[in-house]
Amino acid sequence: MKVTIHLWDLPHRLFHWLLAASVAAAYVTAKVGGEWIDWHGRLGVFILGLLVFRIVWGFIGSTHSRFVTFFPTFSRVKSYVKGQWEGIGHNPFGALSVIGLLLTLGVQVGTGLFANDDIAFQGPLFNFVDKDDSDKLTGWHNSSINVLLGLIALHLVAIVYYRVAKKTNLVKPMLTGKKEIPRVLAEAISAHEATKAGVIRFALSLIISSTVAWGAAGGITQLPQLTKITNPCCSVTWASAGTSQSNQATPEATQQQTAQAPASF
Amino acid sequence: MKKKLTLAVLIAASATAAVAGPIEEQIRWRQSAYSFAAWNISKIKSQVVDHPETYNKDSVAAAANAIAAVANSGLGALYGEGTDHGIGWKETRLKPEFFQKKEEVTKVANTFNEAANELAKVAATGDTAAIKTQFGKVGESCKACHDLIRIKDQ
Repeated sequence: MKVTIHLWDLPHRLFHWLLAASVAAAYVTAKVGGEWIDWHGRLGVFILGLLVFRIVWGFIGSTHSRFVTFFPTFSRVKSYVKGQWEGIGHNPFGALSVIGLLLTLGVQVGTGLFANDDIAFQGPLFNFVDKDDSDKLTGWHNSSINVLLGLIALHLVAIVYYRVAKKTNLVKPMLTGKKEIPRVLAEAISAHEATKAGVIRFALSLIISSTVAWGAAGGITQLPQLTKITNPCCSVTWASAGTSQSNQATPEATQQQTAQAPASF
Repeated sequence: MKKKLTLAVLIAASATAAVAGPIEEQIRWRQSAYSFAAWNISKIKSQVVDHPETYNKDSVAAAANAIAAVANSGLGALYGEGTDHGIGWKETRLKPEFFQKKEEVTKVANTFNEAANELAKVAATGDTAAIKTQFGKVGESCKACHDLIRIKDQ
């Protein structure tokens, strides 16, 4: 006897597929380069927003999205290895994979914000670090993509393995949100039935994640107390060179001037 | 005959390298050339892509001409034998494979040349949409070369 239950809520599923699509797009745009590198940067900021959303949702989302529900504690992993684990959401290994992916994506996005490609692209927070540090973070960005690709490969292999060996379709619940489980299991867990998250919690998560993404996209540089370090290195140099020539020029005016009329030098 | 010709080419090549100065000097010059190009690239990026409201035709045209000048300056002369190791302004990032991949290197170098010269042409017209597209192509040509023979940050 089987029953159908609600497993993944809609925001959770949207998060998952948007993340998959934007990570794929970010990978391709980085490989192509040229004009597309700016889209790589935008996608990175979007992915940051998604990650923050997922973390917030991990605390205030519906039951199976919450970290407390699936966090791979030692005892859970142990019971899963022994074949004693019973549950319907992320199993402890799946949970390890989830956390590994979130952490690696965090490193990827975090380093990318400060990275540069030595051509025509700088991450939105490049000006907060010096070039050497940006290069170092770019190096980490280049290395950790391999970890990420490995984890994604493992994720896909696991899906195929569950489909073939365990006759479990993991993709369908992530699309529909619904899962068929044995009635016995459903009754066993009905004691702590899934709590719903609702529109207000969703709106709150959306506000927090878009604020962080906005800040990382450069919004943080618009905060008044931070304006000093936001002047790009070169503009400062040229601005001071310009000021010595015309004393009355304000920094803003000089910056404009350098951008528009280099011939006057 | 063929052997003699190869020998002559080799001598000519090493002569060019000799003209370009010792290893450290070649590395320093080429690093300077790319830094200068990077400054001009950043001007175009800023005025055409990031802040189009600051676009100034003369400034962008001057920047594009500067990039083309770098591309047309015969940078190949700065890649003499042994310049895959050494410190110019800083340690070179040239991969040793450079010397085994002459054909591919020529190809990416030519692509950069053509893209840079085309950019200079387009920049003179003031058509910002076309400049943006061509600027992207220059960026792609930079990347192709970096991917081929430049050591990545790890």
